[in-house]
Amino acid sequence: MGLSSVSSNTEDLQFCVFDLKRGQYEGQELDKILFFYPADLPFPSQLSVIGLSEGLITFTSIFSPEAPCEVIEAEMHSHVFYQAEPDIWMVMVVEKNTEVQAVWRIDALRNVLKEVHSLFMMFHGSIRLLLMKDPTGVIVRSHLYTFILDYLSAFRKWRTLDFCCCDFLVGKKLHLPSFRDSLKERGTVEMLTVGREAAIEVQSLVRVVESCGGNAQCYSLLLFQDLLVSTTLCPDDTINLFTYAVLRLTPHALSSRQSSWSYRGKGNSGSNIITKSSTEAAASFSEQHSPNSWSEDHRSIPRPLQHDKWSKGKDGFLVNDIWHGDSGNSTSPTPVVYLQQTEERMYLCAYQHCSLTLLFVVPVSSIINGEQGISAVKQLILDNASLKMSKVEEKLSKGWGGENAYHVSGYRYLLIDADRNISRASPPSKVATLAKDSLLFLTKLRKEVDIEKSRTRWDCPDHDRDLEICIRAKNNAWVIARATRGKELYMVLENANETVLYASDAVEKFSNRYCNGAFLD
Amino acid sequence: MSAKASTSQPVVGLSASGALSHAYIKYPPLRCNIPESSGLFYDDGNKIIVSQANNQVFSWKIAPFTPAIAPTSDSISEGPILSIKFSLDGKLIAIQRSNHEIQFQHRETGETFTQKCKSESESILGFFWTDCPLCDIVFVKTSGLDLFAYNSEFNMLHLVETRKLNVSWYVYTHESRLVLLASGMQCKAFTGFQLSSVGIIRLPKFEMMMAKAEANSKPVLASKDVYIITVYGRIYCLQVDRVAMLLHSYRFYRDAVVQQGSLPIYSTKISVSVVDNVLLVHQVDAKVVILYDIFLDSRAPISAPLPLLLRGLPRSSSIGIRSNRKNGDNSEANYLSDLEAIIYGDDWNFLTPDLICDVSNKIMWKLHLDLEAIAASSSDVTSVLEFLQRRKLDANKAKHLCLAMSRTVILERRPLSMVARVIDVLVSSYAHSLKTGGYFKGARSDKMATSSAPHENILSAGCMASASGATITGKSFEYGTACLEGEYFQASASSGTDLEDISTAVYFRTDTNIGTSKVPIDTGIQKIEVQPPSLQTDHDGTRNNLSGTSVSGMQEPQLTSPVISPDEMYSFVFCPAEEEMAGDPSYLVAIMIEFLRSASSEKIKVHPNFYVLTVQLLARNEQFAELGLFIINKVLEPSREVALQLLESGRQNRQTRKLGLDMLRQLNLHHDYVVSLAQEGYYLEALRYTRKHKVVTVRPSLFLEGAFASKDPQILAAVLRFFSDFLPGFSHTSDHKIYYHLLTDITMAPVT
Repeated sequence: MGLSSVSSNTEDLQFCVFDLKRGQYEGQELDKILFFYPADLPFPSQLSVIGLSEGLITFTSIFSPEAPCEVIEAEMHSHVFYQAEPDIWMVMVVEKNTEVQAVWRIDALRNVLKEVHSLFMMFHGSIRLLLMKDPTGVIVRSHLYTFILDYLSAFRKWRTLDFCCCDFLVGKKLHLPSFRDSLKERGTVEMLTVGREAAIEVQSLVRVVESCGGNAQCYSLLLFQDLLVSTTLCPDDTINLFTYAVLRLTPHALSSRQSSWSYRGKGNSGSNIITKSSTEAAASFSEQHSPNSWSEDHRSIPRPLQHDKWSKGKDGFLVNDIWHGDSGNSTSPTPVVYLQQTEERMYLCAYQHCSLTLLFVVPVSSIINGEQGISAVKQLILDNASLKMSKVEEKLSKGWGGENAYHVSGYRYLLIDADRNISRASPPSKVATLAKDSLLFLTKLRKEVDIEKSRTRWDCPDHDRDLEICIRAKNNAWVIARATRGKELYMVLENANETVLYASDAVEKFSNRYCNGAFLD
Repeated sequence: MSAKASTSQPVVGLSASGALSHAYIKYPPLRCNIPESSGLFYDDGNKIIVSQANNQVFSWKIAPFTPAIAPTSDSISEGPILSIKFSLDGKLIAIQRSNHEIQFQHRETGETFTQKCKSESESILGFFWTDCPLCDIVFVKTSGLDLFAYNSEFNMLHLVETRKLNVSWYVYTHESRLVLLASGMQCKAFTGFQLSSVGIIRLPKFEMMMAKAEANSKPVLASKDVYIITVYGRIYCLQVDRVAMLLHSYRFYRDAVVQQGSLPIYSTKISVSVVDNVLLVHQVDAKVVILYDIFLDSRAPISAPLPLLLRGLPRSSSIGIRSNRKNGDNSEANYLSDLEAIIYGDDWNFLTPDLICDVSNKIMWKLHLDLEAIAASSSDVTSVLEFLQRRKLDANKAKHLCLAMSRTVILERRPLSMVARVIDVLVSSYAHSLKTGGYFKGARSDKMATSSAPHENILSAGCMASASGATITGKSFEYGTACLEGEYFQASASSGTDLEDISTAVYFRTDTNIGTSKVPIDTGIQKIEVQPPSLQTDHDGTRNNLSGTSVSGMQEPQLTSPVISPDEMYSFVFCPAEEEMAGDPSYLVAIMIEFLRSASSEKIKVHPNFYVLTVQLLARNEQFAELGLFIINKVLEPSREVALQLLESGRQNRQTRKLGLDMLRQLNLHHDYVVSLAQEGYYLEALRYTRKHKVVTVRPSLFLEGAFASKDPQILAAVLRFFSDFLPGFSHTSDHKIYYHLLTDITMAPVT
């Protein structure tokens, strides 16, 4: 077995999900594999990747049973490990790009794995549960296939819209978080800064909306454009729903539907090709495993991440044709999501008014007669809250500074509040103006901080580490990282003066002005 | 007392219990029964009742209304008396002797003089004293108005001005300073003058509506069918149209008289009173009263017609009275005459604004509203609260009712939108009173935004002066004026007859209801002029001077307004609700947010305790993420109290504790911040901070103990070193010695 066999493939990415509990006996090894990308890779190659991973996990868990293996850095590839559920592992193999000295930030890649798993859990429940329901693994495999491939294509598409990166490649190449994304943090939400009055107005709206669910504990998430305004969910669920909303539900995501139509007209949209090929690939993969069951099954699998499936209904609620009704209804039933916090199944309703998107989840158990009950709740929301909603929208629109609202001239920054999973960064278009060198240095710096952080996490979990690093990059830019009690600040100052004093002054100014002096002790 | 007891319960069903009523008169009445006296005269300028016997005039103050009051007496010369009115300064008594002459008598000197009509063809219909700067007394004659000024030097009147016009009859109330002169065949053409302290305003002529019963008959309007009422500082005229069975209302502006719609009537005999700005239409034949609150455009009655009750009767129950009244039985009437309480008897005379004079029994009743019964009779909590918030006369009770009602809606978990409306009513009412200065306690600190219009400011200042004067002198004042309404009339006129502007008059005017003080405000030149009122000779001699308009009256328990401050909302609504509501506090949190929304939209400051309670509730429900959002967005305003509560509530939640720490830092509470940091184990950070911000109040031992407890020799060493370097003389203290030894012990231990 060798990495060479992997690298010989045209793909620069391999992605697999496997279960250590399955395929324990010789000849049944294929049973371990729950997902493999690219699917057309010969089984021996797939097994070699998984075999290596499994071997390392087993080996390292002797020393560190809690956190066995995080990463393998080979000469040509990096293997990123993520234990999604007990004994269920996700591994991503990425090629090292030797030409540009580009380095992968492993934590960023792991966050991708984490995100896809969290989203999967939200819509389908845990992998282990699905395996218990169907020990053959057919259901899990088909679900994982459609989901992950949709996710990866979504990933690509999202990137296209969000970034105007010149070197973004359409076709078969995926844009994974690279050094260019070092001023971004996956798995955090970006929040809209609102004034007190608007915040109270928002909270008042939230309470009214949640009172529409009757006695059941309902939750809501409010977004303005692609920014979070309010949530009553726990942080993990907030991140999942927020991510999904930004991918598929916000006005931004919905309007991309139109633009993708025009793409389709031209007939060379990367995302569409991927979607198509992924289905085929999934089908071919499944046929290999269980030739009979796939063709009936795959049509009934809801694909929440599929493109262009959501649209705004007449009443302002978003409708989709993803989930298929049992009795062949023309309209799709309301999607159901699993919350991590309460482990409850919830109906997910989304309402949109101009730039405002409201996600509202009601416990399935509290709605007695299914769709009818849901539409009653929706009507209640319309009656009680639509006026407030437009008031809030108006207020927020008035106070919003537009795309570049959070740009601070002279600074390129990323601010993370790890306690709250909130991040704020310079707008992507501004980050794009940075020199490549600056970004590469920043990636390196962030890698260092990641290592430092994970060490602290193991040493004293209750104590946050204070950090302050300033680096002078090759192109004379200052690359700065600061961490204080759960808050992190990364910064690139390209037009800064020579002295480190100047750079630290700039940080202080920034901290006073935009972080309430959090980085100032 | 049974009547009172049963209606004072907040829940009043439709069981038609005998005691249900919205308005009542209270036993005992004011008795004006002097032996051999004849006639009762109401002097509404001075708010006194006058009676005469044996060449003596007796006068009873009726404002404030105290049944036990003793009359003052003056002796006058013999002769017929058509009417008696004291001058507004109390120095003169004017007695109309006939249709042609009025006699004046100086009260101190006893000097008299007489003013007669010049020609025989005209006769005097009546007269009234006025505080108009031009003149002191006005004669209303069939040929028009004669305006006289009194010359004290020569002890005579001299004619200032004459207004010629034919007058059939007239109505005047001192409260409105408005005289309406009827003329024409049907007496339905009216000319009005307002003689207020800023001068005389002539209103445009107008005609009242009269429905015709038949084509040829032309009903003639009588003076008893026209009432001038003052409600919320606005002047209305109500006119009974017996044919149409309607009570037409007209509102007066300086340059216009506007018909305002009509109220239905159910009795041929109608009378009208105003109690605390509520219009009471007595359907005398039906023996019921209907209440209207004509603050808004709505002409719907507040509640269903109900009888007027006599309360506080020592012997008989009111049920007996009611049945007697219904039967109209003579023998029982006799039994009642003992009690002098025949409700809506023939001898009842309704005096403006809220008095009833029983001429035959020579007693005076004062009308009261039963706010509890009114509140209980409506299911629309919002409108009831609005109504209660407008009440000034029984502000204490209105306030308690408001508090109780808002508590109840919360405890009953009524829909959020409805509770939000309730809160809006209370908060906006408070905000309004802040702007207008009606809420004195609140005015001291809670006012964040001041109203912009200078016009309004002046009025509010004037109001303040008047009300504070009222609390001082309220007891001894006899000066029943409501000149503020008159001023309003002026004010509105000078600002272009703006309806909105006039409506703001509500809160000013009502203060004069309690403290009958005289505060002329010259809106024309926009300056306040607080005149010391000229008082009539007083019997008990207690007199305060209004010129000392000190604000000492602010501490009086007697409330002038039922508005509820945010602090009171906290302690009387939210705290009790929090105690009584078990289980999930999210409903209460939602209500509290509604309160914050309401308060922030009115720019009212909320006490930190309120935020502390919110933090407690959220933390109890473990909604830490939401709590964080609230703090970050400053929905809960930062304060030391909130920060400490965050530290306390966050004992199980590090993120919340951090929020508390951050808040302390942002508030520059250095000492608290450093101590809290040290408690969190951030010794070195805390020391860095102490040095940077020169915090000298924290003892070194706090850090040393903590650092030692952390069992980290590095930290202990660093802390020791810090104090040795930066605290002069530290190396000689016992702390240094102890911890230096401890440090060496720790560091040596592993080695040995």
